[in-house]
Amino acid sequence: MAVVLDGIVFGLQLSLLAVGLTLIYGLGGVLNLAHGQLVVVAAIAGAVAISAGVAIPVAVVLAVAAAAALAWLLDATLLRPVYRLTGERRVLLSLLVTLGVAFLLDGILITTQPFTALTLSVPGPAIDLLGVRMRSGSVIASVVAITALAGVFAFLRLSRFGRAIRSVIQDEEGAALCGVDLSLTRTVVFVLSGVMAGLFAITQGLLSSVGAASGFNLTILALIVTVVGGLGRVSGALVAGVVLGIVHAVSSFYIGAFVTFVILLGVAMLTILVRPTGILGRSAR
Amino acid sequence: MTGPDRRARLRADVPIAVTAVVLAAVPLALGGSGYLMSLASTALVFAAYAIGMNVIFGSSGQLFLCLGALAGVAGYTSVLLADDRGWPLVLSIPTGVALATAIGVSFSWVAVRRNLEVIFVGIVTLAFSLVFTTLVQGLRTATGGETGRVVDAGGALLRGPITSYYLLLAVVLCYLALYHWLERSRTGWAWRALKDDPIAAELAGVDVARARILAGAIGAAMVGLAGALFAHHEAFISPTSYAFAHVDVRVLIVLAFGGIGSLLGPVVGAVALGVIDEVLRPLGQLRLAVYGALLIALFLGLQRGVVPAVTGLATTRTRRGRGLDTIRTRRDGDASTDGPEAPKH
Repeated sequence: MAVVLDGIVFGLQLSLLAVGLTLIYGLGGVLNLAHGQLVVVAAIAGAVAISAGVAIPVAVVLAVAAAAALAWLLDATLLRPVYRLTGERRVLLSLLVTLGVAFLLDGILITTQPFTALTLSVPGPAIDLLGVRMRSGSVIASVVAITALAGVFAFLRLSRFGRAIRSVIQDEEGAALCGVDLSLTRTVVFVLSGVMAGLFAITQGLLSSVGAASGFNLTILALIVTVVGGLGRVSGALVAGVVLGIVHAVSSFYIGAFVTFVILLGVAMLTILVRPTGILGRSAR
Repeated sequence: MTGPDRRARLRADVPIAVTAVVLAAVPLALGGSGYLMSLASTALVFAAYAIGMNVIFGSSGQLFLCLGALAGVAGYTSVLLADDRGWPLVLSIPTGVALATAIGVSFSWVAVRRNLEVIFVGIVTLAFSLVFTTLVQGLRTATGGETGRVVDAGGALLRGPITSYYLLLAVVLCYLALYHWLERSRTGWAWRALKDDPIAAELAGVDVARARILAGAIGAAMVGLAGALFAHHEAFISPTSYAFAHVDVRVLIVLAFGGIGSLLGPVVGAVALGVIDEVLRPLGQLRLAVYGALLIALFLGLQRGVVPAVTGLATTRTRRGRGLDTIRTRRDGDASTDGPEAPKH
């Protein structure tokens, strides 16, 4: 039971990552392969701030802001030419450019901050939940993740701007014709995904730690969840995140880390082959 | 065969011949230094990978992000069969290549069957890359895990710095000739058609499935053979030498540098990358950053048409290939339109 609960916490975190990735893809056909690096940048910004003596709450805000700023920068510079293309060419170019960004950031961060890692240890007693003792860090992490996810859903469902975003996901041209500012929605969604990546870094810092070299793996985890949830489907990403989080925890506990990774990748490959629209998807789009 | 046709064929064979002569002279220029020769051999292996990618991605538009894994499948298969089972190389290498080919074919087949978009092909093959690397790291007793293992089977031909260079050069030249021939054949015609517009191609009578699967098979076989030869040549095999970051990213740079879909692009790009690699060696891990920057600059640059002079050189020689964006234009007298195997309109 404790394993499953751990899995749910990790799953919520994965959803944080995947929702950002899937929103960006749904919105503009850009698959951001540098998504994990946003997390790493947040973690390192936070860790550097803490070691410089900044108070932890301020450092947390700085960390999230760093990821959001980087996401904004990406959108405002390198992805502009990408958005000028349409269809498959845009998808392809976005993939290659963000892959380049991922390696660029990896190279810089691994060289300059090889031993920096964000760890936020929370003092305080373990809490009993459903008869299982949870570390207070896990509880805070899941509260943060649930709040952020609920916020994103409320934003997408209830606000006018959120509805505009969903209209772009459904039909880019139609939305543009109705007066939706495509470029603004993309920027907002990119920054939003940056914020969520930053929050992932914080929650992961509460549970264990995030270091410079973890970017690529995080991208892959987010990608797996996104694919299983259906590329571009926000609710799919949420469900897939929690399900795969549980699978991850149970399988790591009983089988081992190597096999778990292979299982997750296998699930993603199988999803593409059997049901490319994801677990919640209809069989045809 | 008509006169102009033969002339066109000859004209286009010149670049391969020039490449052969120039690259054959490299060992003389390097003065037999073992270290430089091994760098040159590695560059040839990457040229071979890139030609394979040119067939898979450049010609038929399938984004395989598992070149390293395909090379590794062939490499590990051959090494395990040769060293642990005592198979001779002439059997173990083809077995490895056959396995890599089978994997390439199955990816192409599935992609065609399920009508997968390019992004899904990319994700599935990327996932396969990671599965491969993870399995190799996990199956420690057979593969030596992360640290790798020493390869005993090799033979004088593959181990001598000069002989192995010429062997790899012969392989690369064969690849170039095969690529060149394919591009002019009915298959090349089908590839161009389906790359421009798969639906129109299908309607025009192109067997899209066959064309794509053939590209997957040939490309994977090319990559597999290069990967297997590399393992026996290096006398050492480890997951790092076939990792996504090590092979696929570099091959993409090589292709973008040399011009996707151009005949000599892979060779030009591989030589350039070899030089860059050596110049940047002191930077250590920071090299990753340079590769990232190169990837961004090359692909955004190509997209905008700021094609470096190098690609210009390669493309004028081979009549096409300016990146993802290329709308393939054909010149009059182009042999592939009136070649013996091209359909008559």
